[in-house]
Amino acid sequence: MAALRSQPLVAPDPPAELARPPLILNRRGTAWISGKVSGIAEGRAPRWWWAAFLPSAGLTALCFAMIAYLVSTGIGVWGLDCTVGWAWDITNFVFWIGIGHAGTLISAILFLLRQPWRTSISRAAEAMTLFAVICAAIFPVIHLGRPWDCWWLFPIPNANAIWPQFRSPLTWDVFAISTYFVVSLMFWYVGMIPDLATLRDRARTRARKLVYGLLAMGWTGSIRHWRHYEKACLLLAGLSTPLVLSVHSIVSFDFAASLLPGWHTTIFPPYFVAGAIFSGMAMVLTLLIPIRTLCGLEDVITVLHIDRMGKVLLAAGSMVGYAYAIEWFTARYSGSPHEIFAWENRAFGPYAWAYWTMLACNAISPQLLWLRRVRRSMAAVFLLSIAVNVGMWLERFVIIVTSLHRDFLPSSWSYFRPTLVDIGTLAGSLGLFLTLFLLFIRFLPMIAMAEIKGAAARSGARAHGDPDPPGGLSG
Amino acid sequence: MPDTGSFWIRARQVCAAVGIAAGAAAGIGWARDPGEFGFSYLLAFMFFLSLGLGALFLVMLHHLVDAGWSVPIRRVLEHLAMLAPALALLFVPIAIVAPQVYPWLAMADHPDAALESKRWFLNPAFFYARALAYFAIWSVLAWRLRAWSLRQDRSGAAECTRRMRRWSAAGMFLFAITVTLAAIDWMQSLQHHWSSTIYGVLFFAGSVWATLAWIFLAAAILRLIGPLREVVHARQFHDIGVLLLAFTLFYAYIHFSQYFLIWTAHIPEETFWYAQRGAGGWRGIGLWIVFGHFLAPFLLLLRIDAKQSMALMLPLCGWALLMHYLELAYHIMPVLRPDGFRITGLDMACLLAIDGALGAIFALFMSRHPAYPIRDPRLQEALAGAGTPPVSAPETAAEDA
Repeated sequence: MAALRSQPLVAPDPPAELARPPLILNRRGTAWISGKVSGIAEGRAPRWWWAAFLPSAGLTALCFAMIAYLVSTGIGVWGLDCTVGWAWDITNFVFWIGIGHAGTLISAILFLLRQPWRTSISRAAEAMTLFAVICAAIFPVIHLGRPWDCWWLFPIPNANAIWPQFRSPLTWDVFAISTYFVVSLMFWYVGMIPDLATLRDRARTRARKLVYGLLAMGWTGSIRHWRHYEKACLLLAGLSTPLVLSVHSIVSFDFAASLLPGWHTTIFPPYFVAGAIFSGMAMVLTLLIPIRTLCGLEDVITVLHIDRMGKVLLAAGSMVGYAYAIEWFTARYSGSPHEIFAWENRAFGPYAWAYWTMLACNAISPQLLWLRRVRRSMAAVFLLSIAVNVGMWLERFVIIVTSLHRDFLPSSWSYFRPTLVDIGTLAGSLGLFLTLFLLFIRFLPMIAMAEIKGAAARSGARAHGDPDPPGGLSG
Repeated sequence: MPDTGSFWIRARQVCAAVGIAAGAAAGIGWARDPGEFGFSYLLAFMFFLSLGLGALFLVMLHHLVDAGWSVPIRRVLEHLAMLAPALALLFVPIAIVAPQVYPWLAMADHPDAALESKRWFLNPAFFYARALAYFAIWSVLAWRLRAWSLRQDRSGAAECTRRMRRWSAAGMFLFAITVTLAAIDWMQSLQHHWSSTIYGVLFFAGSVWATLAWIFLAAAILRLIGPLREVVHARQFHDIGVLLLAFTLFYAYIHFSQYFLIWTAHIPEETFWYAQRGAGGWRGIGLWIVFGHFLAPFLLLLRIDAKQSMALMLPLCGWALLMHYLELAYHIMPVLRPDGFRITGLDMACLLAIDGALGAIFALFMSRHPAYPIRDPRLQEALAGAGTPPVSAPETAAEDA
């Protein structure tokens, strides 16, 4: 068989224009990275942080006030009625749980796919995942009507002879989301240990030394520590990947397992997962584009990173567009009058404004990201990310409310209008999310320092003699 | 091509001989029972079509994500995708016997209520026009992608890479639409009362899974006999294995989603499709799909070192192709043989006839062009550290602590 050998191997150098661009700009070295990232959590909080934090904290207070009012008064304070029994509550739930998915995509799936550019954004995205899941978890509890009985959903056998209804997707949600939260938390925390040790080693006050010392769990950076660390990260990435698919699939079962036209359709699980990654990636962009400028992190979260995230946004948006198209096609193809009505009611009924806005935001506007110029313009990507956030919230609203508001009996048709409590709770949950995120960047290492140092080494970092950057968030 | 020529000539002759002999046998089957021939031929055709489409997808994905590791196996995939024009010719028998295979084509003049409402889509003229459009799109995409790749073999120019990216970007959209509609046209519409929104994704997931198994086998064989010996290494096998594991899960996830939602909602107009496949011998095939298509490959592929073990991977990839055939049979054959699955001589004849014809063309491609993109800008990257499979992510750099 030796005669079958091909010609001798010549692997040419790539042309300059196809050379892989550096992931860290300006040849920033390890000292610069440690100083810069730790400095954000060490120095005094700048004005912009307070300017963002105070309104967010105010909205958080509003959120809890609205919840207190709801619990003490009853579900009637929302705009629900007998026909539309689910509206903003579950819309907000699905919206927030979806936001979380980008964190897992970046930290787990891109890790398994060996995409080194993820390291600059993974920590912040993982934190965002946790905070989004916290916001999401509020809504299924408060929508119960008797939220003090929410523990009935947990499998506590024999207690008061209450058995969870295991055939209900709402019970699966409890398992799926709590598992997802726990694994995401572990992944986030384990990944942060080396960086917490850096903060510990740099701490100047006793309190900081103590707190970061406890959190760093005795990390010394020995080879053995690193080996365990890498193995743990790989295993957690492997565990998180199916989890990220399962969580939003199970959320989609809340709808698809029913018989309702507009809800019961087999594409829902992957369609929801794609939508979740789409909205989550948009939220990462919404948060990181201002923060990279405000914290002076342009050399770490570079234009290249925004460009790549834009491509993920484009891919996920196109998948969502595919799902919209196939839903329309199958409704027409099935010939079922109920399916056709459900679709036509969405597109041309009283909520047509929501449907077409959703379509414009989610399926059409991301197509602008085909253009390199758009992907590399911070303002354009930021605006697009806002459009996608709005569009994805509307998508859940369209799915939930337009499928319910005109049921099989025309006499019971209605039109849902949110009350001030609905609006206040949504705004409040946004405040809670931002509050948690702002606290995170103020007290924890928001960039995976240890990991990006690897990327810096490959980007031609200066090894020594790099002056410490000034501390503080304003960089 | 310098010295692999004689091998490919012999391969071409053997394939052509097999194809002609099996084609003659299939022709006899056609003459005796066009209906049965139609189903056997459709099953074999969809099997090879899914491999070609899977290859087209992997090539476009390679360009869209600017991959490096997969450069050495890309040419083989380009050739596989380039079988699209031949598949268009091989579709002609299906086009002829279609009225015996698709009940709705036979009742075009007297439609039932279900067909009446979807006549805008399921009507003979549109059906054939669509088929023509699918093959035209797949052929042009595969042709242009390979043509630019071959041009780069001569020039090594970055322009070729950019062109391939552009074709892939547009191609991915067209691919998603055409593959979905083709799966609906040629498989789902066998039972036109039934529909499922996930069906296109299901066909796509199974196709890519089988193509990954095929390319693993092809890469191993081509490495053994020579053409890819210097470029395909542990890293390539590892990465194909990882994708195979991912698609094992993805396929199971998609099929489970469809099955579960139909089962749990329990609407008769949907459940009849699975009820038919849960009766008689098909029940066992369903279980084979659960255990053989998903569980066994999933468990075997989990370990990192498993993807390096040829003793495990080669039989497993062969098994995956068998499972893919069985899975397509599960979609197609219950209409013809409601009692259960069986392989007839005609099934084998159709499979070998198409295999022979496509194999001969594939051998011709392999003899004419370099076995891998010899001047691809990312080839160097694919070969860097190629002997050592990536066990964990390389970006976590311990030494920088």
